[in-house]
Amino acid sequence: MTVQTTFGAQPVLKMIGIGKRFPGVSALRNIDFEVRPNEILGLLGENGAGKSVMTKIMIGIHQPDDGEIQLNGQATKLLGPVDAIKKGIGGVFQEGSLLPNLSVMENLFLCHERDFMQRGVISRRAMVQEARRLMATMKLDIDVTEPVSQFAPAAKQMIEIARVLWLAEQYGAQNPIVILDEPTTVLNDGERDTLFEILQELKQRMSIIFISHRLQEVLENCDRLHVLKDGDNVTQIPAAGMQVADIERLLVGSEFSGDRFRETDQHTPDGDVVFKVEDLGLRGAFEPLSFELRAGEIVSLVGLIGSGKEELCACIAGTKSHDTGTVWVDGVTPAKGSPQAAVRAGIGHVPVERREEGLALNMSVMDNMNHLVLDRLKTAGAIHRRKEIEHAHEWVAECLVKTPTIHAACSGLSGGNQQKIILSKWLSSNVKVLILDHPTRGIDIGAKDEVYRLIRKFSKAGIAMIIMCDTLEEDTGLANKMVVMSERKVVDVLDAAPEHKPTPTDLIKLIV
Amino acid sequence: MQALHSSLRWIRRSGVATQLISLALITTIFFIGTAGKSLTMSNIQVILSLTAIPAILAIGVHMTIVIGGIDLSLQGVVALCAVFTGTLMANKYTTYDVGLWIIPITIAVGGLAGLLTGLTHTKLRIPSFITTLGMSFVLYGVAVYINKSQIVSLQDDRIQNFIHAAPFGIANVVLIAVFVTTFVQFLQDRTPFGRHLYAIGGDEALAKQLGVNVDRVKTLAFTLAGCLYGIGALLLVTRMGSATSRAGLNLLFPTITAVVVGGVALTGGVGGAKNAFLGALILAVLNNGMVLMAVNPYAQTAVNGVVLIVAVALTIDRKKLGFIK
Amino acid sequence: MKNTTHMGLGRRVFAMLPVRLQPVHLTIFMIIVLGTVLALANSTFLSAYNINTILSFGAILMIVALGQMFVILIGGIDLSVGGVISFVSVLFVLLVGEVGYFAFPICLFAGVMFGLINGLILTIVKIPSFIATLGTGGIITSLAYLVSPRSISASPSDYGYFELIDGKILGMSNSFYIGVATFLTLGAFLRFSITGRNIYYIGSNIRMSWMSGTDIVRNRCIAFMISGGCAAIVGIIISSIRYGGDPVVGTPYVLNSIAAVVVGGTALTGGSGGIVNVLFGALFLSLLDNGLNVVGVDQYFQQALLGAMIVFGVAVTFDRSKTPIIK
Repeated sequence: MTVQTTFGAQPVLKMIGIGKRFPGVSALRNIDFEVRPNEILGLLGENGAGKSVMTKIMIGIHQPDDGEIQLNGQATKLLGPVDAIKKGIGGVFQEGSLLPNLSVMENLFLCHERDFMQRGVISRRAMVQEARRLMATMKLDIDVTEPVSQFAPAAKQMIEIARVLWLAEQYGAQNPIVILDEPTTVLNDGERDTLFEILQELKQRMSIIFISHRLQEVLENCDRLHVLKDGDNVTQIPAAGMQVADIERLLVGSEFSGDRFRETDQHTPDGDVVFKVEDLGLRGAFEPLSFELRAGEIVSLVGLIGSGKEELCACIAGTKSHDTGTVWVDGVTPAKGSPQAAVRAGIGHVPVERREEGLALNMSVMDNMNHLVLDRLKTAGAIHRRKEIEHAHEWVAECLVKTPTIHAACSGLSGGNQQKIILSKWLSSNVKVLILDHPTRGIDIGAKDEVYRLIRKFSKAGIAMIIMCDTLEEDTGLANKMVVMSERKVVDVLDAAPEHKPTPTDLIKLIV
Repeated sequence: MQALHSSLRWIRRSGVATQLISLALITTIFFIGTAGKSLTMSNIQVILSLTAIPAILAIGVHMTIVIGGIDLSLQGVVALCAVFTGTLMANKYTTYDVGLWIIPITIAVGGLAGLLTGLTHTKLRIPSFITTLGMSFVLYGVAVYINKSQIVSLQDDRIQNFIHAAPFGIANVVLIAVFVTTFVQFLQDRTPFGRHLYAIGGDEALAKQLGVNVDRVKTLAFTLAGCLYGIGALLLVTRMGSATSRAGLNLLFPTITAVVVGGVALTGGVGGAKNAFLGALILAVLNNGMVLMAVNPYAQTAVNGVVLIVAVALTIDRKKLGFIK
Repeated sequence: MKNTTHMGLGRRVFAMLPVRLQPVHLTIFMIIVLGTVLALANSTFLSAYNINTILSFGAILMIVALGQMFVILIGGIDLSVGGVISFVSVLFVLLVGEVGYFAFPICLFAGVMFGLINGLILTIVKIPSFIATLGTGGIITSLAYLVSPRSISASPSDYGYFELIDGKILGMSNSFYIGVATFLTLGAFLRFSITGRNIYYIGSNIRMSWMSGTDIVRNRCIAFMISGGCAAIVGIIISSIRYGGDPVVGTPYVLNSIAAVVVGGTALTGGSGGIVNVLFGALFLSLLDNGLNVVGVDQYFQQALLGAMIVFGVAVTFDRSKTPIIK
């Protein structure tokens, strides 16, 4: 079928030896990647495998540090989203790129209004006509003069795809490439089928890079697969004949390599229950669920984006307000929707967005570390400078933070050291339950190991932890217990004692 | 039925429904409160004349609010334009007499001031509210420096006569305001520049990513706002027949109130010239009504302050702001 | 490197300098230069009378600016200080005749309450502070006019109360000592109290503070209450010096206070700067005011200069890495 015709054809886009580094971490290493004409290419990889950096390079938001990009055999540079679309590459991303207050047609033709000018003004009639034609190709029957904010996510996606196609057509791109980032997470089954139907048609005049965590739909609809892991190529293969299980093996990679997550330090908690959620639920995010944690127990929440685990953590931390059920910490039920109440009760939260949510960047290492313990550093009612310094020194040593002085601003430190500062801020406070939201995201291997050491040490000291990690291996390696979520429900709770950890393949079956 | 449905839809889409309802409401209240005096033919004329110049100024300010910024330099620009008018039109103090050339000159002076503000804001990357606050004092200081706080009587009364004339039953100044409203609204609806204003107001980062020349559009918006202040200043001065740097005083507050009351959210991206005009009209009805009911003039200012805060609270899009600072 | 691209030109220049220079060092340098020039050009500049004038005007300016600084530290701005000063100046004159010494706490309380209202409008009604305080400032100014539509003089029988503040100790005006006391009190509060520290955390990263359990409503209200209280103190001082109240007397202090904060090197983005910055900012502005008066520059031209300095100061200090989109 199409698989045969696309193989052997000259690739439209070819990326050779692509490397990309961010401060303190290398995101991509020596990636070779190609997109052929008229194919749907599945781009696969776990969170943090480098998919999003890859796509950002393809639409010109990031520039690669190494390697070369070729379009139709010619070396080229992609300077930004506008430049990329001129060369025929566009993306439709989860966060969306439609202006909510403008109408559908205005969004479609933004910055190309001149094509619809008659006698010096925009002809709305011409615009409506062209917009209707485009919507018809997407099998979308909507009023193109309504503002975009009126429409459901499925329609918005179609509008975005239509825009990319129209722009590529305007710039005369022969075989445009559209990147679709997790398009199906916001769709119901019917909409999903329609999307794939349309994609199969569109394939006749373009190529599609399809990113999804749902392996079944990737297998059914893609012609070829490209798998990334930890910023490296794993393989590229035709999709025909592959089974979900084969791909799972590729995604997870090799079997466990020894003691990467300090499993030998894992202890089995036997203390009292310090934390419980009972019938906790938030409509539209996750169904009522219950679980409990002993002192020093590490529970890992696993599930795809949209499984509800992110919202669950937000409700526990008080940044979102749940509808039903209660959170219980060592005898206290904090008021819902209040981070202040949650922190007072002993719930800590190490956020994934560490610069935006975790640190006062222009303030010193000392100020950030002492944030939650200031009342302990007082003498006669006033904050005591010497105690502040002592406390900061103690925790810089404890967490091995590499900083010129404790008075240096956090903005200048690497991601790993910033993360250690946030950890020490919470660990030094009287926290009983600590939520760790992707604690090793974007930090180098050495710092990762340090984070694992701290997690082990303080869980042994009795702090219960709820973790969500970048990879299933990390989740499995760190946890005592795993709560698996899928489609807003808890589907299973697995024991993860060191001697019998669940295999990633088992987990993926539950998650997908 | 179809016609009713489509006209209802038009009102919903036009974004002036709330304004029309509140206008009807306060008109009714004052109609009852003043025992009918507020809706006599002559008082309606008064209200419309009271609306005209504030409406033009409000349209200027609203240009900068639609893109998500704000312009607090209004008073400085108006003072400067007023002083230019007082200096360059025939008067007792200076020997200049540019005649009707004063019209393009004043508009150009306002536009240049707006251009300077816009460039400072976009090129030096300073928030608009502080740029324009500083700029207001700079321009006001320059105006006073030129004018030395004199009140300059104008000897050329051609513009004055034209403003006050009412060949169509409505004073020309009102027609000018209606024309300006229509022109700017048309610009917003039917030109790329106009649509890009809304794109920036909707999501500036996204608009930039999609290829909108954000800095240029913003600078242009501030320039156009400056031109409109120039027109407003010229009308203010010639209507009075005398020019002074004090012409700019106490304008900012009612103007911003008019813009917000008209339904232009401070978060940007919604509302047009027609909203600014309606806002000015509502405020004119309100203030005229309070005068007719003999409310203490300082209490009227306080009422306007409350109206401003309430209107901002109702229109602002808090989802867009995250943490309000 | 990534950070520098987000900086403004001013910040980049400061970042490139070999010594860790900060904008406030420029202010100190300017104070020295301006002081030297004025001393050489004007024989009466170093007279005890003139120095007292500079310091006591500087003190008044510094008190409003200190309050303003608290609001700017949390990332807001208070445009209502002018209204509060005007209102308190007329209220104080009227109250002194009626209730005597009680006028002091009542006026202070009024200022703090106005601050609380500003804080609540920001945190509960959720309106950006620059527009909320523009609104309340207008309302408070009209309240001042309602209390007294024109300037009023105190009756000579009440002069005793005014002399309490208008007097001198050791050759320096009492307003200077009030300034010193305010400076030390607020400095200690900022340095030694948890609220003071929280104000910095909130200004630096409000989302982080909220997620770490800081009560941001309470702390932000406190910042506005301090601003209102400081404005009230200045209102009382101004009335006492003039032996009368005036409903427009506060107007210039909106600009002056912001200028003193910004020129001292405190960024409008919040979370950085401190009372020493404000001290130097106010001293510089007071010197400049003195110098320009000696040269005979028009008062409005001085305002123009202040406006330009605010724009320049913000251009240098504004932290662009925090907000990639500047509105």
